[in-house]
Amino acid sequence: MTYTNRKKLKKVFLMIGVAAVVISVLIPYLWMVSGSFKSTLEIQSADIMKEELSPRWIPREPTFDNYMKVNKTVRMLDYMKNSLIISGGTMFFSVVISLFAAYALSRINFRLKRLYELSLFSTQMFPGIAFLIPYFILFSKVYKLTGIPMKDTYWGMIFTYTSFALPFSILMLRNFLDSIPISLDEQAQIDGCNRRQAIFRVLFPVITPGVTAVAIYSFIMAWNEILFASILTGRHTKTVSLGLMEYITTQQSRWGGMLAACILVSVPVVIFFTILQKQIIDGLVQGATKG
Amino acid sequence: MVLNQRNNITAFKFILPALLAMLFVHVIPILTGMFISFLDLDIKTLTQWLSAPFVGLRNYFDIFNSGMDVGRVFMRSLWNVVLYGLLTIPIGYVIALAVALLLNNKFPGRTIVRGLVLLPYITPDSVMYNVWRFIFQARIGLVNKLLLQIGLIQEPLIWLVGDRAMASVVMASVWKGWPFTCLILLSGLQGISAELYEAAEIDGASWWKKFRSITWPMLWPVTRTSLIMSCIWNFHAFNQFYVMLGGDTSSSVAVPSLVILREAFTNLHYGLGSAMAVIMLLVVLLFTGFSILSRKEELH
Repeated sequence: MTYTNRKKLKKVFLMIGVAAVVISVLIPYLWMVSGSFKSTLEIQSADIMKEELSPRWIPREPTFDNYMKVNKTVRMLDYMKNSLIISGGTMFFSVVISLFAAYALSRINFRLKRLYELSLFSTQMFPGIAFLIPYFILFSKVYKLTGIPMKDTYWGMIFTYTSFALPFSILMLRNFLDSIPISLDEQAQIDGCNRRQAIFRVLFPVITPGVTAVAIYSFIMAWNEILFASILTGRHTKTVSLGLMEYITTQQSRWGGMLAACILVSVPVVIFFTILQKQIIDGLVQGATKG
Repeated sequence: MVLNQRNNITAFKFILPALLAMLFVHVIPILTGMFISFLDLDIKTLTQWLSAPFVGLRNYFDIFNSGMDVGRVFMRSLWNVVLYGLLTIPIGYVIALAVALLLNNKFPGRTIVRGLVLLPYITPDSVMYNVWRFIFQARIGLVNKLLLQIGLIQEPLIWLVGDRAMASVVMASVWKGWPFTCLILLSGLQGISAELYEAAEIDGASWWKKFRSITWPMLWPVTRTSLIMSCIWNFHAFNQFYVMLGGDTSSSVAVPSLVILREAFTNLHYGLGSAMAVIMLLVVLLFTGFSILSRKEELH
């Protein structure tokens, strides 16, 4: 075989491989989109054993019903609101708090710094289930002792999720700050800024990519969390990830409605990601490989 | 010394909010959890939890006692999570590596494809595992439809109930998990200098030879980090099982997090649940220790 032929063959195999990867990634999404336009009747009456009833890729009678009625049986729009408030709050607090902590780690030499870094690194690894039970009990006790409600409140959830997001966020921002020459903020301080001004006026603009990555990471983390939400949220604060499971009950399976809701729930995450793909990927890779 | 003292105070002020959050959400609950694991704490004793009967290590003996239901269920769940890891981590890694090598080539539309393969990773867990739950339905599901079409099965298989549920969850999690590993491996591949390959090509090295002596050793640090992290995250497994099993925490393929949830919040045995949680924490700490040691080794 000649050299160019071999090159051509290699190219063909490459394209086949890429196509296979893309198809296997897309299949569940296509099935989700197709299902969201099917009526409940069409999905429920499907039967793979019967040729004429086998579920199809193209809906027999496409309908927007599932989208129009998204708030009807399950209060999905309310859950969206709850999730937006909780995730938005988590995003804000996690950025502000981790910015200060990361600044201290990157710019100041202090006692027990190494120990603090190590504890950040380890808490990031703790499985949520390891402290869910005592956390739940402490939530109840705080309410009993002080009368401050924690369960089923927005700020209780925001506080919880912010704390979850912090270790990774701090370490990620520290990496970003380490890559900025210290002379930049020293100069600002010589010019009469105090530390806080130096952080917000001088450093903040330069590390926007890092801040963005932290913001998105925190938002998505809170948007996706299920374990703590299943115990700590209630009627007023139920989030989307739990809401999705309400469509399928022992009495009724509303697959069409669930799939339409799935698409709505994915929208904020996918939009965020598409706009800021580069920052997020850089941030994630750095966070995962350097920690 | 004065400057040092001032630095300490400034730094302390800066990390104080983060420190308080860690204290209230991680440190205090974990210590409380360890304390509760020595108590016979259930719904009856909860109101006066500090005076709940102290039972020493009994909860720990119970959760490892194969003569008791709670022991059998917990040990089964430990085996389940290990099995789950033994399946998803290697399969996920091999797929990720293969795709990373593939996408490291130049081809038209490479940027788009790279963004596209990340979709499973960024789509929320709850969304994707619900979709997979739909896909694995027996009579209306896509998996059975395709298997039937290619003639591998004659009858629809029940996927999500019984032992086959593990296979379904593994498939869905591999699909959801490999893109992230792939992303990390790709960034590792891009760090390998092209000159190494050029030199090898001049020597007439085969593809396999180049992989063995350049790509694999150069990727090893990334591989090692990623595998250790996967082992740690493996014990966090909850979402995929909770969603795909439809919130059923009594399944025979349940992992510890589901069993703990059930023991504490359905059976209302907080003491037993906490003992299981402490065991999970110890397992994860063990792997975290490995990971810290291996990072240190890397630095030297």
